[in-house]
Amino acid sequence: MAMDEIVDGLSEVSCDVLVIGGGTAGPMAALKAKLKNPKANVVLLEKANVKRSGAISMGMDGLNNAVIPGYATPEQYTKEITIANDGIVDQKAVYKYAQNCYKIIEELDSFGIRFLKNENGDYAVKKVHHIGTYVLPMPNGETVKKAIYRQLRRARILISNRYMATRLLTSSDGRVAGAISVNTRTAEMLVIKAKAVILCMGAAGRLGLPTSGYMFGTYENAANSGDGYAMAYHAGAALANLECFQINPLIKDYNGPACAYVAGPFGAFTANNEGSRFIECDYWSGQMMLEFYNELSSGKGPVFLQLSHLHEKTIEEIESTLHKVERPTRGLFQKGRGTDYRTESIEMHISEIGFCSGHSASGVLVDDFARTTVPGLYAAGDMASVPHNYMLGAFTNGSVAGTDAMEFADNHDFAAFDAADVAKERDRVMAPTKREDGIPPNQIEYKARRLVNDYLQPPKVTRKFELGQRRLAEVREDMEQQMIARNSHELLRALETQSILDCADMAAHASLYREESRWGLYHLRTDFPEKDNENWFCHTLLSKKDGKMTSEKRDVEPYVVPIADEEKDLYDKQRIRASA
Amino acid sequence: MAGPFESYDNLDDADERLGAADPGERRVAIIALGHSGDPAAVRHLSGMVADPNAGVRQQVAMALGEFDGPESAAALAKLLVDPEPAVAHAAADSMAEFKDPACADAILPLVKHGHAFVRMGALRALKELRRKDTLKPALEALRDSDAAVRVQAIGVIGFLKLEESIPALTASTGDSDAHVRRAAVSALAFSQLKPAAESITRTLGDEDWMVREMAAETLGQNANGMVAADQLIAALTDDFWQVRLKAIRSLGKMKIDRAVLPIGKCITHEQANLRKEAAAALGEIADPAAEPFLVLVANDSDPEVRKNARWALQRIFAKKAKTSS
Amino acid sequence: MPLASYQTFVPVVVDDAKCIADKGCTVCVDVCPLDVLRISDMTGKAFMAYDECWYCMPCEADCPTGAVTVNIPYLLR
Repeated sequence: MAMDEIVDGLSEVSCDVLVIGGGTAGPMAALKAKLKNPKANVVLLEKANVKRSGAISMGMDGLNNAVIPGYATPEQYTKEITIANDGIVDQKAVYKYAQNCYKIIEELDSFGIRFLKNENGDYAVKKVHHIGTYVLPMPNGETVKKAIYRQLRRARILISNRYMATRLLTSSDGRVAGAISVNTRTAEMLVIKAKAVILCMGAAGRLGLPTSGYMFGTYENAANSGDGYAMAYHAGAALANLECFQINPLIKDYNGPACAYVAGPFGAFTANNEGSRFIECDYWSGQMMLEFYNELSSGKGPVFLQLSHLHEKTIEEIESTLHKVERPTRGLFQKGRGTDYRTESIEMHISEIGFCSGHSASGVLVDDFARTTVPGLYAAGDMASVPHNYMLGAFTNGSVAGTDAMEFADNHDFAAFDAADVAKERDRVMAPTKREDGIPPNQIEYKARRLVNDYLQPPKVTRKFELGQRRLAEVREDMEQQMIARNSHELLRALETQSILDCADMAAHASLYREESRWGLYHLRTDFPEKDNENWFCHTLLSKKDGKMTSEKRDVEPYVVPIADEEKDLYDKQRIRASA
Repeated sequence: MAGPFESYDNLDDADERLGAADPGERRVAIIALGHSGDPAAVRHLSGMVADPNAGVRQQVAMALGEFDGPESAAALAKLLVDPEPAVAHAAADSMAEFKDPACADAILPLVKHGHAFVRMGALRALKELRRKDTLKPALEALRDSDAAVRVQAIGVIGFLKLEESIPALTASTGDSDAHVRRAAVSALAFSQLKPAAESITRTLGDEDWMVREMAAETLGQNANGMVAADQLIAALTDDFWQVRLKAIRSLGKMKIDRAVLPIGKCITHEQANLRKEAAAALGEIADPAAEPFLVLVANDSDPEVRKNARWALQRIFAKKAKTSS
Repeated sequence: MPLASYQTFVPVVVDDAKCIADKGCTVCVDVCPLDVLRISDMTGKAFMAYDECWYCMPCEADCPTGAVTVNIPYLLR
């Protein structure tokens, strides 16, 4: 058989709980579901291979939101996250995370994942922020995926690699009934009936185009093309605050984290071209990114991560982490450039835009049980709306989702779906393979993402967004009528392109809906430059209603951890500039 | 592959595949066993530790790391003494991930092995197992001729957190090797009692800055850390700003009033990190005497410094308002 | 409309002398998140079939014989 040749075929399996996405949240969800009911069938479906998929493919250099007794409290953490998100937070889920995450750290430790410990075996938690202490380094963090995969095998989870989920199946009363997927190497289709489905499909990280021009040189794992956002949308689930984009400060061109969280505790800092610090904001947030953006676009750029003032031994320690874990090619990149941290600073830049609750707040709306607005459908990790989740949030909320989804499956039978939906989806998926000639997916993707950069990148200008929407609609037309896939690998890219375009449309729609500026750079609207608490102190929910994209307001739930005015003041005052 | 799912029948033809003449084929079979998740794979893997091909043995060492338990540890113990360094390293790394205390039985005898690398690898693995009968051999290993071995021995002792080992750890704070001394200080952090605090205090005078830095930091975590207040104040004039920084932070945490003046003197240091910590510590102590120092940096060029200075001033004003009303 | 292909300098390089794909090894092809590696019908060795690399390293890190080298893609070097 020729490489990636298209095989026409369709089969069907069923399970109790289907987890889609085998990165961080997904494996934990699958494990916990199985633990809840060992007799039940749990399927873990993954577009790549569970062994090395997702944002932490090469592990992670540390936890940056660890709430460890003695160092931080759940109340304190909840307050910080609330303030970092300009108050637009349903605290219940954040608070629950903060209460549960220490238990998850201990569990990960028991899996064999190595966190930095003192010589007495206690976690060596580091201080980065002024108020709380949340950073726990993982000097051997490259073992994370290996340790998780080992647990999956031991629990005999049914793992399906190289299947890309394309759409969810729902019943006439709106309950989830399963998912449709396609094998990325044969194009054979697989229908998975399930009583409950958990989406753990990561960020929408292939939305903007990196400034290097290399399509796969994204900040996020380039496999994270926003398929989960698109699938949730088409299934009728609500998506929250998508206008709160993800933008990160990164090593210029390399487009990976530098990473201030690793180097910060040792005394490294972000500086402008004059060698001075300029970041006022305490927490990694849109406010911080705005300060970064302003510095870059003022005469004081470029921006650097400054290490050269540190002692030789300290720099060695930082290097040993930066060049081994998370993005280990960092060392290779710096070597190629001839950059030595001892004498030179690292040039920084800001990333392309994306959706990701892991770092901001744009995700599929979930409650404190990881339930979406579609009965039986759950979401966890970077794609679910719990803000500033990071890796530990994915593990913790994945765990919550797995347990609750199995409980749901135990109490429900399979929902019925219309066979015509499968046939329709099969036609849609296979369409690019049926054309004799046309435009290849890489060109359609490139154009869509170039338009995202040109028109949707903050600062957000209404007129530009309207133009962008028009141009994106033209690309969509090309995609639907002319896109061609000559083999199953190209079909994978063609389907990802469809997710990317869906996300671009959602990014534009959500941004135009919120007529104020909030979250610093993430939603900076030049036509509405002020924060408008009177009209916009609310979530925005985007969903598909009668086939059309719509947005609506939703109240912020009453806080479970009240924040006194003087505490808000404290943060606001910290943001005062020197000249003020 | 079982339909669309990963197979769970990896062991069916394991013996045949492991017996392949080609070492490459044997490696492929071992990789599959490692990923199987099936504890029965350990028996097959254990049979391969004497394979003539070093690459195959290295693969076995990596695969065994997937199976935490005494049987797997016994096989890894044989690979840890392998003459091929790559094999021994892989075995050491695999062992270090184990948590089952029963693994210690196979690993303990290696603590007295002739090669330092083996002794080090064995002690490193024993740390996480936290078994009380590892204390005695670890204490003996504190006299090992190799410093890297002594560092690992301190870890074993420290992880056990037994007050009875304070004298031994204290003795190690006087070791000839700086890494050992630093590890000993870090290990002493488990004890909240005075003897530990006093031992750490003495290391504030160590000749190596990283030992002094660790001491200054660790004292802030000890409930009796204030016995070191004067020595920490003296550390504020250390040649290394890294040491001063940790001393400032610990003094702030302990709220030592008499440290206000010496901390205040640090507030114009050229290192912004130091100015920031000084401002934060003065805020923790919240003594009105700190006011003039904080005013100096309230408009510092570094936002972190001025944020902390303003926060500190706010705390001092609040305290003043309380006492005057 | 005919399609043209254009040249690109692929970041992942495989040392055929070390690669044991012809012995049944599929590690690098399995672990690639972007699924860009394949085993050649002609040589029986692994190679980079699609220039869609995230320079993430599992192929290099997990290769049992050290046959794979990941380079930084030229455009961002």
